[in-house]
Amino acid sequence: MTIAIETEKLTKYYGRSRGVMDVDLTVEAGQIFGFLGPNGAGKSTTIRLLLDLIRPTAGRARVLGMDVHRDRLAIDRRVSYVPGELSLYSELTGRQLLTYLGNLQGRVDGDYREKLIERLELDTTKRIKSLSRGNKQKVGLVAAFMIRPDLLILDEPTAGLDPFIQLEFEHLCEEARGEGRTVFISSHQLPEVEHLCDRVGIIREGRLLAVESIAALKERALRRLEIDFGDQVPIEAFAGLPGVRDLTIDGETLRCTVMGSLDALVKTSARFEVRNLRSVETSLEEIFMAYYGAGEGLGEGAGDGAGGSAAGKETTHAAA
Amino acid sequence: MLLRNVFWKTVRDLRWPTFWVGLGMGAMTGYFALLYPTYSKLFDLDSMLAKMGPAAKLLGAGGDASSLIGFLHIELFSMILPALIVAFAAGMASGFTAGEESRGTIDVLLSYPVSRRRIVLEKSAAVFLACLVAAAAVWAFAMAGAAASSTALPPDRLAEALAMLVLLGLAFGAIALAISAATGNRAAAIGVAVAVMVVMYLVDALAAVVDGLNTIRPLSLFRYYLGNDPLRNGLSFSDAAVLAAVAAVFLVTSLVAFERRDLAA
Repeated sequence: MTIAIETEKLTKYYGRSRGVMDVDLTVEAGQIFGFLGPNGAGKSTTIRLLLDLIRPTAGRARVLGMDVHRDRLAIDRRVSYVPGELSLYSELTGRQLLTYLGNLQGRVDGDYREKLIERLELDTTKRIKSLSRGNKQKVGLVAAFMIRPDLLILDEPTAGLDPFIQLEFEHLCEEARGEGRTVFISSHQLPEVEHLCDRVGIIREGRLLAVESIAALKERALRRLEIDFGDQVPIEAFAGLPGVRDLTIDGETLRCTVMGSLDALVKTSARFEVRNLRSVETSLEEIFMAYYGAGEGLGEGAGDGAGGSAAGKETTHAAA
Repeated sequence: MLLRNVFWKTVRDLRWPTFWVGLGMGAMTGYFALLYPTYSKLFDLDSMLAKMGPAAKLLGAGGDASSLIGFLHIELFSMILPALIVAFAAGMASGFTAGEESRGTIDVLLSYPVSRRRIVLEKSAAVFLACLVAAAAVWAFAMAGAAASSTALPPDRLAEALAMLVLLGLAFGAIALAISAATGNRAAAIGVAVAVMVVMYLVDALAAVVDGLNTIRPLSLFRYYLGNDPLRNGLSFSDAAVLAAVAAVFLVTSLVAFERRDLAA
């Protein structure tokens, strides 16, 4: 398996404040990889380290098997990047900008470029400064895809895109993957990448918490349960059961989320009269939040200890 | 063609500023060349200067105004043209790295196979070209003005003086570039370059009046720019070499500083 991105203990401090710490990230070639985390978690810092725009305090990074600093130009020939805060030469028209960037790159598939312009419905006659955020983003995406790079690094690529264009963007990513190319997408919105990515890495407060395949994440899915009892039940009977969290009892109804086996909960419930039991599989978003809620000691212990309040707090944090 | 690479893109970016600065400096010089005979008839310029005494020297008006060369030296080459070319070159040079950084375009630019060093070099070459074009405009306007007023103006001396002017611009442009490349702060780059120019100008002008300043006079780039009175005596190679060396040293400093730095997001 070839490796598209590989970092080892990648660390960046800005003065004394943290950028990222000890990031060990491996992204295999031919995948769509989602790099997830709330704003300020270190996603852009990591990406800018990969692009050699900033230099690491410690650790190292390789892209397409090459050193990000020493082999910079060789990497640039095979990698496209669309920054989150995309700034382009505002005095140029879209067409002029694509011409300029194409010339800098040296090789552009002209037919493919025209196809991209058509598919993303980009008006290339307007000056960049008159474009909306979403339209600017489209210029950036056309520029990134038109060189058919081996690796696409896209920092929050879909911000401002309307749903139709977003779908077209997803098709483009899938096509790229189909051709064996790698797409690295950062996002703070899980639903945006959930159905697109093969694997996701979760970064929080500068540390990479976990890298999982979407399938594995879903296997570890939490279930939300609601059990209606025939009578009031004591909360003490359920508190501390393995895998049970966010436990509340409201009159005769128990609500909780369970990770892993339901066995203990079901057996305990059976001591009382159970009238109804509802189970809802949680969204990936909630799994994601469970990671956050578990804090730094994550990996094995997402299920224990972390209360609902912590997860709730992180929800606000992520949305901020 | 103007979108072919960083050099031509920069030329494209600078085309209007260069046009206006060239036109402005040229029109001013042409105007003086055209009206010199009228001025010199109306006023006895030399005796006016004599009455001003040391004050004239402070204003850069040391010398004699009995010829167009002397007149241009006093009126334009000693203060106004250098101030303009320095502001022009420093303004352009500071915009390269700090300007692209503050606009955020440097991230995109550097994700293409163009090295940081090459960006600085190609952009510097574009500034060199812009200064040459502006100087050529001055030359053309001045020669036209002198021809129209039938005044003698040696074309080679004028060209040599303008070459010194361009070198002065490049030296200060390189200073601004170095600050901009090292800090990413465009305002600081222009501010410091212009401040240094003002101090150097004053040191050179005051040294003509105050003996004590003569020891530090060699530190002023104006000493080399004007020292040999290029409009009258032609270009001094050693003076030109000093200005070129200063430009080269700061250009190299910029390359090193920009290569090493974390770029602003």
